[in-house]
Amino acid sequence: MRRIGTALVSLAVFVVVWKLVSVVGGYPDYILPAPEVVAERAWRAIGTGILWEHTAVTLLEVVLGFAVGASIAVLTGVALGKSLLIERVLSPYIVAAQAVPILALAPLLDIWFGGGLLARVVICALIVFFPIAIATMVGIRSTDPLLDEMLRSLGATDPQRTRLLEIPSALPVIFGGLRVGVTLAVIGAVVAEWAGASTGLGVLINIANQGLFDTPLMFVALAALAIIGLFFYGLVVLAERRLLSH
Amino acid sequence: MSLSRVIIASLSLMLAACQQTPVPSEAPVSADAELRQVSLALGYRPDVQFAPFYVAQREGFYADAGLEVTIEHHQAPDVQRLVADGQAEFGVADATDVMIARTADIPIRYVSTLYQSFPVALIGEAASVPTDPAGLAGMTIGTPGRFGSSWHALLALLEAGGLTEDDVTIREYPQFNQVDGLSNGDVALVTGFRNNEPLQLEARGTEVGLLTVDEVAPLPGPGMIVGDELLAEDPNLVQAFVGATAAAQAAVIDDPDLGFAAAEASVPAIAEDPEVARAILDATVGLWEGDGFVDGEIDQEAWAAGYATMMRLGFIDGSVPLEEMFVVTRR
Repeated sequence: MRRIGTALVSLAVFVVVWKLVSVVGGYPDYILPAPEVVAERAWRAIGTGILWEHTAVTLLEVVLGFAVGASIAVLTGVALGKSLLIERVLSPYIVAAQAVPILALAPLLDIWFGGGLLARVVICALIVFFPIAIATMVGIRSTDPLLDEMLRSLGATDPQRTRLLEIPSALPVIFGGLRVGVTLAVIGAVVAEWAGASTGLGVLINIANQGLFDTPLMFVALAALAIIGLFFYGLVVLAERRLLSH
Repeated sequence: MSLSRVIIASLSLMLAACQQTPVPSEAPVSADAELRQVSLALGYRPDVQFAPFYVAQREGFYADAGLEVTIEHHQAPDVQRLVADGQAEFGVADATDVMIARTADIPIRYVSTLYQSFPVALIGEAASVPTDPAGLAGMTIGTPGRFGSSWHALLALLEAGGLTEDDVTIREYPQFNQVDGLSNGDVALVTGFRNNEPLQLEARGTEVGLLTVDEVAPLPGPGMIVGDELLAEDPNLVQAFVGATAAAQAAVIDDPDLGFAAAEASVPAIAEDPEVARAILDATVGLWEGDGFVDGEIDQEAWAAGYATMMRLGFIDGSVPLEEMFVVTRR
C-alpha cells in the first residue's frame, strides 16, 4: 500500500512539474501541451477507439518479440556461458549485430521478412536479444565452482548441472537482463512499426506528429508506451520475486 | 474574429496591394549595411532540389536583400512547429500540410509557391500504371505512411476515381524506401516525387509510368511558410526573403548550370553521383515551372480546389477559412 502511495505521489509531482514547465515556459500546445490538454485528448482517443486499436497491435508485438527474443537469448547465453569455443565464434557477430543501429537495418528486415507481424516480431526480438544473452552468459559463468565441483563428485551429468545449479544460480543476473530486455521490447516494437506498419503506437505517433500536427495525441501515444513498459517491467519484477523467493 | 486575425488579414491585404515586384533585386542594400540574420528550415537533407537557396546564398541574392540566411535541415513535420514558434523565420512545407497545421492551430502562413506543379505522383512500371484513377481498384500501393503530401495525393487520386483506401491495399514504408518494395514486387505502384523516385527506378533499368495528380485533382505545391507573428511584426522582411528566393529560383530556371554549381558546392554528397543529381535538378526545374514559372505567385484557384479536396477527404474541417491559409506576397 505504501509503495502505491509513493508511486502516486511521484506521479503527482511529475504532473505538477510538467504543468509548471508548460505555464512558465509559455509553450503552445503544438510544442508542449499541458497535462490537462493531453488528458482530454487521451479521453477522446479512448472514446473513438483509436488508442486501443493501435495499443492492441503494439502489445501483441511486445509480447511476441520479447517471448521469442528472450527465449533465444537465454538458450544462446547458456551456450556462451558454458563453452569458450562457442563464445569465441559467436561473440564477434553478436556484438557487431548489437553495434549496428537497428533503425538503419529495420527497413531492410521489413522487406526481407515480407512486412507484417513476422517482420516486426523479428526486429523486436533482435533488440531484446543482446542484454538477455549477455546477462545469461555472465550469470552462468558466475556459478559457485565449489558447488559445481560437489555436483560433479556426485556424478551429475552436464545437463543436470546446468538445470539444477547453473541456471538457478544465474537467475538473479538473468532477471537483470530480462528487466532491461522487456523495456527494450517496447522500443523494438516502435522501431519495427516505423520500418513498416499500418497500426501500432509507433504508427499513431507518426500520424499524430507528421499527419495531423496533433502534439497532444502524440503525447497520448508516448504515455501509452510508457505504461506498457512499466506494466511489463512490473510483471518481470513480480516473476523475479516469485521465483527467487523459493 | 480575434485581434491577431484582424492584424494578419489587414497585413495580407496590404501585402497583396503593394507588393508587385521583388524587393531585393530592386532595392539592394549597400555593401556596408549590417545584414539581418535569419534562418530557413528545410524538411529534408541537403539536396540539389534546394538549389535556389544555395544560389541565393552564394550569389548574393540574400545579401542584396539585406539578409544573412542560415539553412537548417530538420524532419519535415518539425519545420511548421519551428517556424510557428519563431525558432526559424522561414520554412519550406507542403501546402496540404500547411492546411492541416493551420487547422490544428499552428500559426503559420504559406507565402510563396516553389513548385507550380504538385510533385507527387503514383509511380510504377509503365505497363502497370493505369491511365485513369478508377483503374487503381484492387492494386497494392506503397507509400511512406498515412500522412504528408504523398498520402493526400493518393487519397485525392482514389477519390477522383470514385474509390477509397478500402478499394486498394496500402503498404507503408515509413523510411521512404517504397521504391525497394516496388523493385521487390511487393507493391504494384508507389507514391513518390516526380523529380526523385522515377529517376531511381530508371537507374535500375525500369521503364517508368506515372499517374499524376495535377490533371485529375489539383493540389497546391510546396512553398515558403512564415509564422503569423513574424508576418505581423515585419512584413518587409518576409517580402525581402520571398523576393530574393524567387529571384534566385528564376536564375536557376534560366541557367540550371548556375544552380547545379551552387548545389555541388553546398552538398558534398552530390559528388557521389553527379549525373543523377543533375537529372534530379532538371526534373525539379520542370516542376517549379509547371505551366509557366510565375515568380513565386500563389495559384489561388489550385488552393481553392485543394482546400475543397482536403475538406472532402476529412483532413481539414473548414474551421480555418481558405483565405487564412496563405498570404499573397507575389503577383
